Amino acid sequence: MTAALYFDGKTAAAHPVNLTLEAQTLLLRADGIELQWRLSDVQISERLGNTPRLLTFPDGSHCEVTDHAALDAMLPHRRDWLDRMQHSLPWALLSAVLIVAALLAAYRYLLPWGAEVLAQRAPASVLQQMGRSTLETLDRFMLQPSTLNAARQQTLTAKFAALRPLPGADMQYNILFRSAPGAGPNAFALPDGTIVLLDELVALTEDDNEILAVLAHERGHVEHRHGARMVLQSSAVGLVIGWYMGDVSSLLTTIPAAVLEAGYSRDMEREADEYAAHMLQHNTLSPCLLTDMLNKLETAHQPNETAASQPDAYKVMDYLASHPATGERATLLCPGSR
Amino acid sequence: MQQQQEHTFEFTADGWEYFRIWIVNLLLTVVTLGIYSAWAKVRRLQYFYRNTRLADAGFEYHGTPMAILKGRLIGAGLLLIYVVAGNLNPVVGLVIALLISAVMPWLIVRSLRFKLHNSSYRGLRFAFTGSDRDAYRVFLLFPILTALTLYLLAPFTHQRIKQYQHCNSQFGTTPFDFSASVGNFYGVYLKVLGMMFVLGILAAVLVAAGLPYFLALLPIAMLFIGIYLAVSLPNLIWNSTSLGEHTFYSRMEVRPYLWIAFTNLLGIVFTLGLFIPFADVRMTRYKLEHMGLLAQGDLAEFVAGQEQQISATGEETAEMFDVDISL
Repeated sequence: MTAALYFDGKTAAAHPVNLTLEAQTLLLRADGIELQWRLSDVQISERLGNTPRLLTFPDGSHCEVTDHAALDAMLPHRRDWLDRMQHSLPWALLSAVLIVAALLAAYRYLLPWGAEVLAQRAPASVLQQMGRSTLETLDRFMLQPSTLNAARQQTLTAKFAALRPLPGADMQYNILFRSAPGAGPNAFALPDGTIVLLDELVALTEDDNEILAVLAHERGHVEHRHGARMVLQSSAVGLVIGWYMGDVSSLLTTIPAAVLEAGYSRDMEREADEYAAHMLQHNTLSPCLLTDMLNKLETAHQPNETAASQPDAYKVMDYLASHPATGERATLLCPGSR
Repeated sequence: MQQQQEHTFEFTADGWEYFRIWIVNLLLTVVTLGIYSAWAKVRRLQYFYRNTRLADAGFEYHGTPMAILKGRLIGAGLLLIYVVAGNLNPVVGLVIALLISAVMPWLIVRSLRFKLHNSSYRGLRFAFTGSDRDAYRVFLLFPILTALTLYLLAPFTHQRIKQYQHCNSQFGTTPFDFSASVGNFYGVYLKVLGMMFVLGILAAVLVAAGLPYFLALLPIAMLFIGIYLAVSLPNLIWNSTSLGEHTFYSRMEVRPYLWIAFTNLLGIVFTLGLFIPFADVRMTRYKLEHMGLLAQGDLAEFVAGQEQQISATGEETAEMFDVDISL
């Protein structure tokens, strides 16, 4: 026998009743009330902590039971896996670990995959808009007009245009010359096929083919849609962190997303290197040109790195040069170079 | 004159108990890429509703996960369209934002209906009867006027929104009523404005006196003012709300609220979010246990007295509005 409160669903009056089970029929008894329901018609709410359980009857009336032990003793109940999980401390702790594992796995595998699928299908107008807005921001805060004379700019543009593209290339390219004295030599690609080449990088070498090697590497980033992928990934990370930390502060959410997505991943750099190597070979140039240039860039950046006083804004531009393991990349591109 | 009896809300939830439910639901949400969040929401609300007790009876939440999932998909879709469009082209983004704000009042009404229709106490459902027309006035027209008047109308708009929500809610067939005036809302907002004014003068004096380091205390003072608002407004709103001849009360105070909010924030930050369920339970407990109902006469008697009216209503318009939006 189980004590319960009966509510008829038409009034808010609570009737104390006793519940008994006789041959698959649930009997409700109290002063002036005598009801019975087939057990199979009774909807029994799931256990949720120590909260009262509800037995809802077909006519919309219900009983509220707080005596869990008596109810469990009376009803032949089976606890499903979810019920067990929700009430066990070991499962709670295991869940905490599994959540972290699932999030890491999603970040490492699912996010890049999803971003790649979407980025490859992004229409040209989307890529153009991404490129335009990024360039506007860079021009406003970091970049200055180039001091290279027009003839030199034209020569480099023409040499790049004369390169035979790899089969399957589908982007239009546009080289922009800029200068950024504080940031050191660099070049970077925007999602729409714009490649920004800094004067400092042009000044680093006498050999135009080395510049072409860098441009081919940047072209690899564009053809593989790396820029669009990074934008998509950082938006997704920001959304998830915002959703989870939503209760704390929206301020906290932007920081980790920015930190996590500071530059291209190693995999992306390797893809761009491979693309550059193929493209150079396709034009009967040596992939070692890129290796040489990477080494020059690394040397040029070293004093800056030790100073460690670079403004944060410049770190965004570290795409090409300061990515770790330049030596490892060199041996992949140009076996026997070291 | 019947005797007046005070019933305080009780909250019987337990942090550890809720932690287990919360974390398992979070795991399933992550593993199902967010789909399970609708089921998790139902469990969370059921846990909180059933642990909320008034005059020895609990509340119950009846929302179905599928309805919530539908609402979430709509919400996520709107957000996605807005974000993508805003990134593509500011003009398109603006047009989309305008379209979204044009449907927002309609969605808010559906969401309020869903929420109240799916809440019950002692076997009786709540209901929301507000019209779309009024919703467009309080959720679209007044906010636009507020923005145009440099937020001078903000307290007025806030009062109208709360009046719309509470005056159009009912328990069974008994309507809620709302008596706070526009003047009451201006009173609270003016106090906040006064505090900020004093704070501004204080800051100016500190800078003039060559003590700018004390400005580091400014965010704490701002937090205090924010909490003052978070306490005073619900107090005002609930102290002005009645159900039939019974009136609600809310007696939250700034200092304990500030303490709970501050320690919750620390707990959440230092446990990387694992404290969230405990924080939810603590805050809800404080709010609920400082709220209650001043019943005219015995509550059980009153409730029984509603029998005739309610049985006349018959079945509710059941699952017609089964969409839940929470943006």
